[in-house]
Amino acid sequence: MKPVILFFLLCLLLPVFLVVQDLLPALPPARERLQLFPVLFCFGVLALPLTPALCFALIASLMQGLELLQFQSGHAETGVAPYIVFFLCWTVILQMASEATHGLRWELHALASALVTFTMLGGEYLLICAKRGGLPLDSVLLIRMAVPCGISLLLAPLLYFLMRHLVPLSSEGAVLKNQASFDL
Amino acid sequence: MKKLQIAALILLTVAGLFFCLLGSGTLALMQSGLMSFLSPLSQSGHTVKKSLGSLGKDLLTLDQLEAECSRLEADNRRLRAENNGLRDLLEENNHLRQALGYREHSSFLLTPATILSHDAGVWWSSVKINRGAKDGIATDMPVITDRGLIGKITSVSDNVSEVLLITDENCKVAAKVEGTKEQGICAGPRIASGDLHLTFLSKLADLQPGQKVYTAGVSGGVFPSGISLGTVKSFHARELDGEAILEPAADLDNLEEVFIVTGAK
Repeated sequence: MKPVILFFLLCLLLPVFLVVQDLLPALPPARERLQLFPVLFCFGVLALPLTPALCFALIASLMQGLELLQFQSGHAETGVAPYIVFFLCWTVILQMASEATHGLRWELHALASALVTFTMLGGEYLLICAKRGGLPLDSVLLIRMAVPCGISLLLAPLLYFLMRHLVPLSSEGAVLKNQASFDL
Repeated sequence: MKKLQIAALILLTVAGLFFCLLGSGTLALMQSGLMSFLSPLSQSGHTVKKSLGSLGKDLLTLDQLEAECSRLEADNRRLRAENNGLRDLLEENNHLRQALGYREHSSFLLTPATILSHDAGVWWSSVKINRGAKDGIATDMPVITDRGLIGKITSVSDNVSEVLLITDENCKVAAKVEGTKEQGICAGPRIASGDLHLTFLSKLADLQPGQKVYTAGVSGGVFPSGISLGTVKSFHARELDGEAILEPAADLDNLEEVFIVTGAK
């Protein structure tokens, strides 16, 4: 599948994942919310060549940032800038990892999904603490981050095997990345 | 690297910087646009979820009926199925009557709304409802149920609004305790646990579990006076003040129908 078609397909899936993760119920024991968005993001940036992957990351970061944006007395609490920086940094890291492993692999996708989820939640928490002051730490905090991270790890292979036929895999993927030109 | 790719990277960097430098007003507009864009998906998803939920219930009822099949006569099965159906209707009828009665007897002007989804953000407690600017909804309007306060509107698009729940740390409510002169600020903890924390109480306050807490309705505030917030679970004195842990009056995990306070009657 041409990268441009995959790019648009993944962009169409972004709002769907955003809505679906909102509709899913919270999980016990500490009412953790499932994070599907990082799983799709990781698949996208691993499957696409660098330039469309960066475009995809920018769109994903804008959607995630705007979705979670909270206003206090008319002022945005976090803004979208942290999400843009976060998603673009992870895109570069995952592109390098993808090069090193000769293309998209399910193990890499699963690990990346878990790491992105964990760092995103941790980053959000630190950002909130920096804005509001104080840094309360307890065991619930770790559960809140670890459970979505673990679920991302488990869900990532599912998404990978559902969508793997959309991208040329492993060595073919690497070749595709080297040859691909994304016509903007 | 090809020239086109370099140009694309430069464009991306510029776009990224542009979005990073946007002000709160523009971000609010963009968020409203995203909510409008996602609202058909959210509403369809909500409908599908509701249908799937009732499908599960039907299957469960059928399973139960099948388990009894070996022991019961055919007529008996039919009557049980009818009875189950009527019970569901009765429950729905009672629920709607209760909601309608509350709306009619309330001293506020209320706009009914349905919860579309709970936001997936881990550190924020908010929900989306199916009413927006087209229904006269504006930011900072209180949102209640027949049980009590649930939060306030923070973002509005044409058809969908976001409600910040009282269990969020940022949703601070001036509150008073029933039967005492104690007043304080009620909000959720940073790592939301479902409970509310009522702070700035007197260290010597004599609060007992089960006492009700209501909104204090300070002048110029968002929330009117006298709306139930919750009941006291425990009280402890801190270094400078007293803090009570409250159980919210409304069941915030299982919200379905809510009312937005659009004014007073």
